[in-house]
Amino acid sequence: MTETTRHAPTRRTLLAAGAAALAAPRAFAQSPAEVKVGLLVPLSGLYARPGSVMRMGAEMAVDHVNKAGGIKALGGAKLRLVVLDCGDTTEKAKNAAQRMVAQEPDLVAASGAYLSSFTLAVTEVTERARLPVLTLSYSDLITERGFHYVFQTSATAASQARQALPLIMRLAETAAGKRPKTVAIITDNTGASVASAKPMREGLLKEVGLDLVMDETFTPPLSDATPLVQKVRSTRPDLLFFLPTVISDAKLVLEKMNEFGLSQGRIPTISFGIAIAEPDILQTISPSLLQGVLTCVGSWATKGHEELVKELKARFNEPWMTQNAISTYGDVWVIRDALEKAGKADKDAVAEALRTMDGGPSKYFPGGLIKFDQKGRRVDAEMTVVQWQNGIPVTVFPRQLAVAEPFWPKR
Amino acid sequence: MPTLRSLVPVLVAAALYAGLAAIVTNSYYQLTLTLVLVWAIFGLSWNLLSGYTGLVSFGHAAFFGLGAYTTALGQIYLDLSPWLLIPAGAVIGCLAGLVVGIPTFRLRGHYFALAMLAYPLAMLYVFEWLGFQEVTLPIKRESPFAYMQFSDPRLYTLVALAMLVAVVVITRAIEGTRFGMALLAIKQNEAAAEAAGIDTLSWKLRAIALSGAIAGAVGAFYAVVLLVVTPPSVFGMLVSAQALTVSMFGGVGTVWGPLIGAAVLIPVSEILHAELGARIPGIQGVIFGLAIMAVILLAPEGVYWRVRDRLRQRRAGSPVTDNRPAAVEASVVSFAAPPLPARERRRTGAVLLSVRGLSKSFGGLKAVQNVSFDVHEGMILGIIGPNGAGKTTLFNLLNGFLRPDAGQVIVDGRDRVGERPHQLARAGIGRTFQVMRPFLRMSVRDNVRVGAYLRAASEEEARRLADEAVDRVGLRGAADRIAGQLTTKELRLMELARALAGQPRLLLLDETLAGLGHGEADEVVAVIRRLAETGITIVIIEHTMQAMVRLVDHFLVLDHGAVLMDGEPERVTRDPQVIEAYLGKKWVAHAHA
Repeated sequence: MTETTRHAPTRRTLLAAGAAALAAPRAFAQSPAEVKVGLLVPLSGLYARPGSVMRMGAEMAVDHVNKAGGIKALGGAKLRLVVLDCGDTTEKAKNAAQRMVAQEPDLVAASGAYLSSFTLAVTEVTERARLPVLTLSYSDLITERGFHYVFQTSATAASQARQALPLIMRLAETAAGKRPKTVAIITDNTGASVASAKPMREGLLKEVGLDLVMDETFTPPLSDATPLVQKVRSTRPDLLFFLPTVISDAKLVLEKMNEFGLSQGRIPTISFGIAIAEPDILQTISPSLLQGVLTCVGSWATKGHEELVKELKARFNEPWMTQNAISTYGDVWVIRDALEKAGKADKDAVAEALRTMDGGPSKYFPGGLIKFDQKGRRVDAEMTVVQWQNGIPVTVFPRQLAVAEPFWPKR
Repeated sequence: MPTLRSLVPVLVAAALYAGLAAIVTNSYYQLTLTLVLVWAIFGLSWNLLSGYTGLVSFGHAAFFGLGAYTTALGQIYLDLSPWLLIPAGAVIGCLAGLVVGIPTFRLRGHYFALAMLAYPLAMLYVFEWLGFQEVTLPIKRESPFAYMQFSDPRLYTLVALAMLVAVVVITRAIEGTRFGMALLAIKQNEAAAEAAGIDTLSWKLRAIALSGAIAGAVGAFYAVVLLVVTPPSVFGMLVSAQALTVSMFGGVGTVWGPLIGAAVLIPVSEILHAELGARIPGIQGVIFGLAIMAVILLAPEGVYWRVRDRLRQRRAGSPVTDNRPAAVEASVVSFAAPPLPARERRRTGAVLLSVRGLSKSFGGLKAVQNVSFDVHEGMILGIIGPNGAGKTTLFNLLNGFLRPDAGQVIVDGRDRVGERPHQLARAGIGRTFQVMRPFLRMSVRDNVRVGAYLRAASEEEARRLADEAVDRVGLRGAADRIAGQLTTKELRLMELARALAGQPRLLLLDETLAGLGHGEADEVVAVIRRLAETGITIVIIEHTMQAMVRLVDHFLVLDHGAVLMDGEPERVTRDPQVIEAYLGKKWVAHAHA
């Protein structure tokens, strides 16, 4: 593949170009009746559930964009969502991406593909086909390959690891009025959990002044959580990082904590990722056990999204809006902004618009701007802290995005 | 080597496929065309080990994954091109095959299959632990061709096609020669194969090394196509299963099986996924599963065998059954005349086999106790005794299947205790089995050829020795028939011929007359006698005495693992102890009366 020289346009030339595009009479703009946007997410297999939630977010956003007049720069052209199933393996994801670029050559952009490994495979194809893709996947690798057509809307994994602890510390300080000093870790030995726990042990905890008083790793599935929870009771940490992967393990530990009188946030319990805040978890664990449990996620429905949450509930019967729904919703709006800026329904133009756009403060993603850096990462992307309160995980931090006060023991 | 003619269908198919690939411009269809070839090659690799030896491997993803990671890591850390890394993947797969094979071939049957399952699963975790959860092949914008990053997807299909043709040629070359014959023999009966002089462990190791090399190479290529390598995508259970599915669907133990399987299943699964995946998510898996189940039910051994059997039946029509016995009987009939001429007894030649104080116990059961006897060159020794007397155990001790607790087995003056069956076979001890294990789909001639490799230096010689052996047992007229169509008697003769093809000096026959009707037994007896005339020494086990009396020169009677009597047939049949052992006490009195 030969790369034509990429000239970074200055802001002025862009403004000029934009003004010219706006000034041009509507009749001259190539205005297709429809502009196709791809959504490549898992709709079958192990990850079908999060994939279908992403689809809900995308469908809502497309409706909203269209209701608001479509793409004005294209004479009010409507968005049309092309949904493809990327299955549950890397190979299927890659095949689906190939199918997407081969069968739908007039797509202008796409969003996908849930798991980082799927997104990695998918973007190998879309990069070669010069189709811009927005993703909520965290892996740093996605935007470290020197690709020009992939845009990460969430903070990357490494960035989240750096952000999470100070965020929790600030939350504790605001909520409890004092800095926590001691911390315990209970983690299983699966890849994702190990990846989160390792940097904490190796310096992140020390950086924020936390003393690790208990550190237990178990192999799923747990048969009995008593010894683990007994240790928590005897060490009485100010914080407990709890990183389960299997729901039954989460249930055992939370039940035992409840039995020992440590639940309901008496020992603030913090997890990472979306697993412990998915609606599915209520099928196994009673909401009372989850009360007070916190988790750090890349994005969540925050202040200002109340109408969206209501609509999602009414339309799809989803009890709350997770990262999967809100991020994908936001992706469509970003694509819409890029289309307005590009002024034509062309994937290369949309990609260029994404690279150069500056959409100001982000509305649907936590913190930062609607602007992508050289690598394709959203500038200053932050994350959210979510807490289970009365059977619903709600955003409690950062302050300006919170929909509820954090629930923290005052000792 | 396979002749050019036998490769014509393959080359024609490859040319058609290349033509198809050339006209497909849609990159997605082209990717499917490439993946069909990838899984066909992987299926062939599995087939080479499991299809031919019958040792089912649930863990071929181990080799495949190592190959894939060879490409990924080699390109990332060493900046090597896949053009080099694919052969490197083959070498690594080959070594992995040996490392896996040496310990795992100690296991058999289900245990082997389950142990194989463990390797890719273990490797999956090792690679995750090493931090290779997601590895992507760096994009090469400057020199894409040198790094196999073609902008024209048709080139991937062509590379895969070249690999496939090479693998087919290799498989074909193996199928027709002693390598393939050895593997087939192992599949039918590993014990019998050892007895026929096949060093089963070394052939199995060669098979798994070659199979691992092919899997490693195709895994390395797959990484180039997929561009992202994750442990589940190359070591996962589904990867191993893919090899089994395409092979079993298409047909196990033939080069065409995996080709048919991949050519049908991969596109079908893709089409289902593309057409239904976004509309009724998950339904594609259900339909795919049901389709495979239906085919397995209708064609349990795979599409290829089903179609082939159908075609053969139609071509052969009904007369198959009519012409069968004539040829055999023509050569044997003269011997079937009721009273056999008396045979001059021989027991004077040099001692070929001398057994001294042989004992074997299984726990508390003394299966063979302190047995000693001599076998002179050219004689026929009959070992008789009631069921459970230890006759077959004795044979197993003689040809090395079992190691005696005590005693010596002296062949030609050398103690052979502790040698493996194929080594004893080389020393000139041939054997047949009580339970027949013919290779049912092969012709009589080919069945016999398996035994001939013991002595033959070339394919040519093996063929000649096999034909001679077939003549000697009087099966010439049936030589081209499929073993599955033979009668019990013919099968017995064929097994005899297989043992003979290895040019043994001493032949151990285990209940060769069992299951034969009266007249049939006489025919086989006649053949055995003729063999003895030509100088082969024979030891035969039977538990019925009638047919034996007229056949053997000498009897050895076993009871409860010990020698009850050792003597001439006339003496043995009148001995009260022998009658008691066989018929019970009251018949002794009867015999004297």
